[in-house]
Amino acid sequence: MTAQIEVRDVTFRYPGGDRAVLDKASLTVEKGEFVAILGGNGSGKSTLCKLLNGLIPHYYTGDFEGEVIVENMRTLDCKVAELSGIVGYVYQDFENQIVSPRVLDDACFAPLHQGMTDYLERGHEALRSVGLDHRQDDFIWQLSGGQKHLLALAGILSLNPDIIIIDEPVAQLDPKHAREIYDILRSLNEQGKTIIVIEHHTEFVAEYAQQVVLMDDGKVLFKKPVKEALNEVELLLERQIFPPQVTQAASLAGVDGPLPITPDEAAKHFSGGVRPLPSETGPARTGGGEELVVYRDTGFSVNTITREKRRILDDLNLTIRDGDHIALVGNNGAGKTSFMKLMTGLVKPDLGEVMVCGERTADRPPEYFAEKVAYIHQNPEQMFIDDSVEKDVGFFMKARKTPDLEVRVEELLRQFRLEELRERDSRLLSGGQQRRVSLAIGVGMIPEILVLDEPTANLDIATRKQITRLLDELKHQLKAVVIATHDMQLACEFANRIIVMNEGRIIHDGDRDSVFGNARLLEKAGLIPPQVFAFSQSIGWEPPAYTVDEFVRRFAGKEAEHGVYA
Amino acid sequence: MAKLSERYKLTQSQKMMVFILSMSLYGLSNMITELIPEVYIGPIEFSVEYFAFIPLTLCILFHPLYAAIGASVGEIIFGELMLGQFGGFGELEKFIAFSLAMYVAGTFVRDPKNKIQVGIAAMLGVIIHQFISMTVDVLKVWVGVEELEVVPGLAESVVIIEGFYFLNDIFFSGILFALLPTVYLVPRLYGKIEPLLGMKPRERTDRYSLKEVIGPRLVAGGLVLASLAFMFEFLSETDFNPVDWEADLGGGLETTLIWVSIGMAFLIAVSVIAVMVKRRRDNMPPGPGGVAS
Amino acid sequence: MEYTRKLVDKLSVEQLKVELLNTAYGNDRTFLAKLDPRTLFIWYSFFGIVPWFIHNEKVLAGMFLFMAAATFTARVSPVIIFILCLGLLGQGGYLFIAALFFGGDWAVMYPLLVLTLKLSVISLASIAAFCSMDPEKLSNGLLKIGVPGQAAFSIAYGYRMLPTLIEEYQHVFQSFRLRGKAPEKHGFLYWRTIAYFIKLAVLSFYPLLLSMAKRARTTVEALETKGSLNGFNDPAVKKLKLSGLKMGRADYGFLLFSAVYAAALFILF
Repeated sequence: MTAQIEVRDVTFRYPGGDRAVLDKASLTVEKGEFVAILGGNGSGKSTLCKLLNGLIPHYYTGDFEGEVIVENMRTLDCKVAELSGIVGYVYQDFENQIVSPRVLDDACFAPLHQGMTDYLERGHEALRSVGLDHRQDDFIWQLSGGQKHLLALAGILSLNPDIIIIDEPVAQLDPKHAREIYDILRSLNEQGKTIIVIEHHTEFVAEYAQQVVLMDDGKVLFKKPVKEALNEVELLLERQIFPPQVTQAASLAGVDGPLPITPDEAAKHFSGGVRPLPSETGPARTGGGEELVVYRDTGFSVNTITREKRRILDDLNLTIRDGDHIALVGNNGAGKTSFMKLMTGLVKPDLGEVMVCGERTADRPPEYFAEKVAYIHQNPEQMFIDDSVEKDVGFFMKARKTPDLEVRVEELLRQFRLEELRERDSRLLSGGQQRRVSLAIGVGMIPEILVLDEPTANLDIATRKQITRLLDELKHQLKAVVIATHDMQLACEFANRIIVMNEGRIIHDGDRDSVFGNARLLEKAGLIPPQVFAFSQSIGWEPPAYTVDEFVRRFAGKEAEHGVYA
Repeated sequence: MAKLSERYKLTQSQKMMVFILSMSLYGLSNMITELIPEVYIGPIEFSVEYFAFIPLTLCILFHPLYAAIGASVGEIIFGELMLGQFGGFGELEKFIAFSLAMYVAGTFVRDPKNKIQVGIAAMLGVIIHQFISMTVDVLKVWVGVEELEVVPGLAESVVIIEGFYFLNDIFFSGILFALLPTVYLVPRLYGKIEPLLGMKPRERTDRYSLKEVIGPRLVAGGLVLASLAFMFEFLSETDFNPVDWEADLGGGLETTLIWVSIGMAFLIAVSVIAVMVKRRRDNMPPGPGGVAS
Repeated sequence: MEYTRKLVDKLSVEQLKVELLNTAYGNDRTFLAKLDPRTLFIWYSFFGIVPWFIHNEKVLAGMFLFMAAATFTARVSPVIIFILCLGLLGQGGYLFIAALFFGGDWAVMYPLLVLTLKLSVISLASIAAFCSMDPEKLSNGLLKIGVPGQAAFSIAYGYRMLPTLIEEYQHVFQSFRLRGKAPEKHGFLYWRTIAYFIKLAVLSFYPLLLSMAKRARTTVEALETKGSLNGFNDPAVKKLKLSGLKMGRADYGFLLFSAVYAAALFILF
């Protein structure tokens, strides 16, 4: 009996590409495994997955060598359509995978178009398995991002494939919804399906996957059980892949033997009634600065499909001052984006008022406020309007005939390390590069306040760190920065003020200690603190550590006190 | 052996991509132009007729047939159906006229980097389309009004008014929304957008076009098809019944949208011409066989 | 300023979604909406074409009454009717003025009125018929009469993508507005401002062309991996999709009534 999937020495070069994306890659996957593929950007993860459903070599006609066997069929010999019943693929830009206006129609689409008479039952069944059956008559545009992702999954489940491949399932989700989709994947796995995920978040990998594949430069470096794989800390770090925080902490703290990969495992290495060093303080708030933005009894609502008004924001009262570095946290749908857009004047409040630098936003057009508040979209592509990085960055200043345009553009390009990309079209860059361009554009608007929507979403951890560093530099350039984020690590490290939103209201305005120390608040807002925080809390540290470094320093200090390590 | 069928399938999906791209964007632009208000200065209408530059650009950069058909479908779906303005048979005439005009413009360009060629093609596309529309509109009134010649002034005024609109559209919409944006966009997108669809940029040697295309012949072909488009106004004279369409078009062939609709158009047009020729005993030139290639 | 605000209001995505949804799916309870699409096609193919060749104003008036009644029962949005009237009157009006100019007299009025009546019958027929079909019904109807399956797919896809596309367009347009600079003087009749916004409307398509290309690729690729790309014109698929279509008593009754009514018009006048 052969394995379910066998990739043998595949080398592949995209048409017109100058290097082989896959270089003698080989991989075996047994039926019923839950596999996570790790690897840096451009290591060939997605390409490897596209081998399995025959997209390569049938769809992308590049130079192809080697062979791929899926359930005893050579992909070279069969059509993509034949493989569709065996391998299901959920794209990273899953939205474009949905082609019908209504939920049920889309779930049935594949079986219907393959002429299966039971297409309706299949659609219903698929929706049930992802928990969307109550939305079957809705329109796609009524779904949230997470629900669309589930629908894209249902769309392939309707064909009942044995192998399910998901490209970065949690990239665009808040932590709660991310967990939801992983739970669904796990239950599918328990029903005997093979699951393959491409994933940067090693904490999910540690919790859900059984096997880990590490890719680098078009090669499969290894495939190992998850515990062993995540123990290869150096190998992973070299490729800018960060193991779970507890693993990193254990590795840095010099734990002997196999490193723990989940908090439960870690507990036995770190517990013991000893007191760690006192906590380290977070970013400090200067306070008392000039008032920049004031929300007064602000309410905001939109029209819904049923012609009713739906309240998005309610009763907001808030002042943003010079020196504030705010993280805005809360689940999807909490109203973060609307909150920020009110500041830009792009949308106007329908109750109360919003004042920006002393002017009511209702009184002036958004162009006026663009010079005060720069808004950076979650999807950087929405900010690219010209045909090169250089022009995009300079667009604002050029329109205003800023005198030393070239010098300033040059400075920005240097600051955001974009010099070599200047001629390229921003839309054709990688995710991290795009994000840097969008930051440069925002700063190029010479605003007083920079407002960012999810600046680290969709990025691998290494790029995320890079962006976090850039954001830190900005603190000195601008009066205030507001970041809406699901990335609690970023919130902890960056912000001197954390605002928690829930169902259109501000339910807390404080700092990291007051937010993460309040278990009921976290529960209510659906926030999940950084792993190392939750872990140090669970082993009785008071206050807990926010970062791996802090954890290790405090832990090492403790050990030193007791003379374990000299 | 297998290679060949693979390559064929590949082009199928790429055609589909071009079709979807063109349909979505031109459809969207249609909705936007519907929302832009019109400005009248006396009888002169400064309205944004359409963003012809979108299909023109795509026809020049990609396979012109699929981009052209996609744009027409997009117009019908976004600009008509969704806004509740679907005009039934009238759409058929628009569909053919517009697809044809865009297709011809696309085939005209051999080198997308040559701005002069691109510019001429853009204007050519608009002129062909507007000319067909004008002809159809004039003929509509001529058919619609009984004994037209009895009413003094009407026949002339129809021609004058439609002619005026024709020129208005050519010089206003044509230059502002076809010529300038197309000349701006094509060189910028060339070599950039094709890889996003997994294609190689169109090269000078690519032959989408009829071989030895020369301007006059195309115009002549356009004129013949213009009259064909008009024939749709006579549909009821034949035993035209939509339910018969089903006949054998589905078949085992790759029934892409294009071939069926074009084929359909030709079949109907040829039969109508045949009927008319017979009836009027006129010396009309024989059918449009020359253009079929 | 007023102008730009209006434009932006009109482009409000949420509003557009509401309107679209109501145009497309809001009419499913009317009598016409319950008929089989084939019935509506047959009905339309008569009333959408025959009036061209009728010059008897009484017959036309009779047809007009019928169409008006049909449009009324179809609960077509008043906006659409209004636009239609405007278009018809405009065309007739210009023709009339031009004809007077070319030496015509008030006698021109009469044939023009007949023409307008004729055009109204035809337009109302299409509005009544096509506004009574929701997108799915129309797709199935088209499929049934042999229009290739890609058309049905395109309709569904259009409705699926429209909100996304408009949203994206709006974002790009906003980016242009926020980072660009509107002309400081409005110019004669606001022409500078208008020209500026139209220029933005055109330029906004450059980014959209690229991002739509990416979307199109994923969409087609996904269709391929779901094995659906070749299913559009598969007879078995067609049969499945159309299994719900049925000509019922109401369909035959409606067609019969229409036929009798039309015949009566011809006989009486």
